[in-house]
Amino acid sequence: MKQERFVAMYGSEWDSLQFWLNALERQPKRTLRQEQALDFPQSYRRLCHQLALARGRGYSREVTDRLQRLVQQGHRVLYRPPAPRWHRVAVFLLAGFPRLVRSQWRCMAAAAGLFYLPALVTLLLLQLHPELAHTVFSSMQLAQFEKMYDPSNAHIGRSSGTDLQMFGFYVMNNVSIAFRTFASGLFFGVGAVYVLAANGVLIGGVAGHLTAIGYGGPFWRFVVGHSAFELSALVIAGGAGLQLGLTLLMPGRQRRGPALVAAGWVGAQLALGAFAMLLMAAFIEAYWSSIAALPDVLKFGSGALLWLLVLGWLWRGGRGRGDGA
Amino acid sequence: MLDTVREIETPEGISLRLRAAGAVPRAQAWMLDLLVRLGVFVLAMIPFSLLGVGGNGLAMLLLFALMWAYSVVCEVWLGGQTLGKRALGLRVVNADGTPVTWMPSVVRNLLRVVDALPGVYGVGLACTLIDPHARRLGDIVAGTMVVHAAELPAGTQVPKVAAIAPPVVLAADEQAALVEFAERSGQLTLQRQEELANLLMPLTGRRDSGAVAQLIAHANWLLGRA
Repeated sequence: MKQERFVAMYGSEWDSLQFWLNALERQPKRTLRQEQALDFPQSYRRLCHQLALARGRGYSREVTDRLQRLVQQGHRVLYRPPAPRWHRVAVFLLAGFPRLVRSQWRCMAAAAGLFYLPALVTLLLLQLHPELAHTVFSSMQLAQFEKMYDPSNAHIGRSSGTDLQMFGFYVMNNVSIAFRTFASGLFFGVGAVYVLAANGVLIGGVAGHLTAIGYGGPFWRFVVGHSAFELSALVIAGGAGLQLGLTLLMPGRQRRGPALVAAGWVGAQLALGAFAMLLMAAFIEAYWSSIAALPDVLKFGSGALLWLLVLGWLWRGGRGRGDGA
Repeated sequence: MLDTVREIETPEGISLRLRAAGAVPRAQAWMLDLLVRLGVFVLAMIPFSLLGVGGNGLAMLLLFALMWAYSVVCEVWLGGQTLGKRALGLRVVNADGTPVTWMPSVVRNLLRVVDALPGVYGVGLACTLIDPHARRLGDIVAGTMVVHAAELPAGTQVPKVAAIAPPVVLAADEQAALVEFAERSGQLTLQRQEELANLLMPLTGRRDSGAVAQLIAHANWLLGRA
C-alpha cells in the first residue's frame, strides 16, 4: 500500500485520537467520562500496529513521526500511575512496614548496635568520669541542657516555646536527620554509620551528663514517652541507609544497577515508615512529654507501654495473614 | 545515532523515544522551583507571624513540606513535572517511559541529599556528565530519568507536483532516501538541493534545478500520489 492511501484510510482516526488526547490534557475528568475513553485502549493498540506497519513499509517521516508523537502521548495516558488509595497506607503501616523491617533484620541489628553501643558506653563513662562531658559538648551547650532539664521548670525539655512550635521544630529537625541518615547510606554505608554513632554519642552524652549532675529525674521523665518511636525510627532509617550502602558494596547475584533499584525501593519504604514513626514521636514529645506535673508512675508506665507497643508492632505486625491486604 | 535518545520497547512491540535532559535545563528548573518555594514560604509567613510563637511551628511544618514533600507531590500529581520542570519542558519518567510513580519519586528526591553534595549538586553534576542518559545518583537508584517533554516537530510534507515513475525499480532504502530528500528540500538552500540532486545524474539524466524537480516528482510517485 502506498503512503498516501494509508494516510487517507486512517488519517481521520488519528485526528480524532489526537483531538481526544489534547482535550484530556486540558480537562482530564470530563474527557475521561466521554464514550471515547472506553475505546481508548483499543484505538491506542491499533495506532501502535499502524506505526509498526508504517515503519516496516518504510513510509516517510511525515507519517512515522506523526504516529510516534501520538503513540508517546497515548502511552503516558494508558500507563499513567493509578490513583493513590488510603487503604494501602494503613495496610503498609500495620503490616508491610514491620515485615520489611524484619526482612532487613541484619542491617537493623547492625544499626541498633552502632547506635546503642556508643550511647551506652558514653552514658556509663560519664557516670565514672563526669568531666568527660566537656570533651563532647561545649560549655554553652551544657548550660543549655541544664537549663532545659532544670527540675524547677514547669515545662521540661525546652527553654521556651509553645507545644505547636516545638511540634513543628521536632518534625523538621528529626525527620530531616532520619532522611539524611538514609540517603547518606549510599556512600557505601559510611554516612549512615557516622550519623548513627554520632547521634549515639550525643544522646548518651546528654543522658549521662544530666544523670551525673542530678538532673536525671526530669530528663528521663521527659524522654521516656517519645523515645520508643524516636530512637526506633532513627535506627530503622540508619538500617535502611546501611542496606543501601551494602547493596552497592555487595550486590549479590545481580548486577549493581538492578540491585540498587531494588534496595532503593526497600529503603524508601523504610524511610517513609520512619517518617510516620517520627511524626508520632514529635506529637508525643511536644504534647505529652513536656508536661511536668504528672506522677512518675504515669510517665514511666506509659513510656514502657509505648516501648512494648513499638517492639511488639515491629516483631509481630503483618504476621499470620499471607497477603496483608 | 550519536545523541541522548533512549529507545524503550513497549508491551505493544514498538519503541518509545525518550530524549534525556542534561544538567543545564535541570539546574534552571531547580532554580525556578527554589524561587517558587521561597515565594510560598515568604507569603505564608505573613499570616503565620500574626499567630505569634505557635506560628513558628506552622512555619517549620511548611518548611519541612517544601523541603521534602514538594518535589514528590508535584512530580506524582502533575505527571512527572514540578512547576520548574513544567516551565522548562522537562518530565520525570520511570524506566519504562511511564510518568513517575510514588516510590521512585520518593527515592530520587530523598537521594537528592547525596547528589547535592559537595557544595551545590557536585555529585549530581558529575554523575549526569558520566551517565549516558544524564541521570544523577538518585535517578539511577530510583530507576527514573528526566526527559524533554516537548516532542520534536513531525517531518514536513513533500511538495505536491505531478508524479513521475522512476525509470528503474528502487530498493526500499533508496526509496526512503529519495522521499526524505524531498521532505527536507524545503529546509535546504537551493544550491545544496542542486548539489545533492546532481549526485543522482545517472537516475534523472538532468542537472541542477531540473534534477531537483525530477526527484521531487519521483518522490510524489513513491508516496502514491496521482
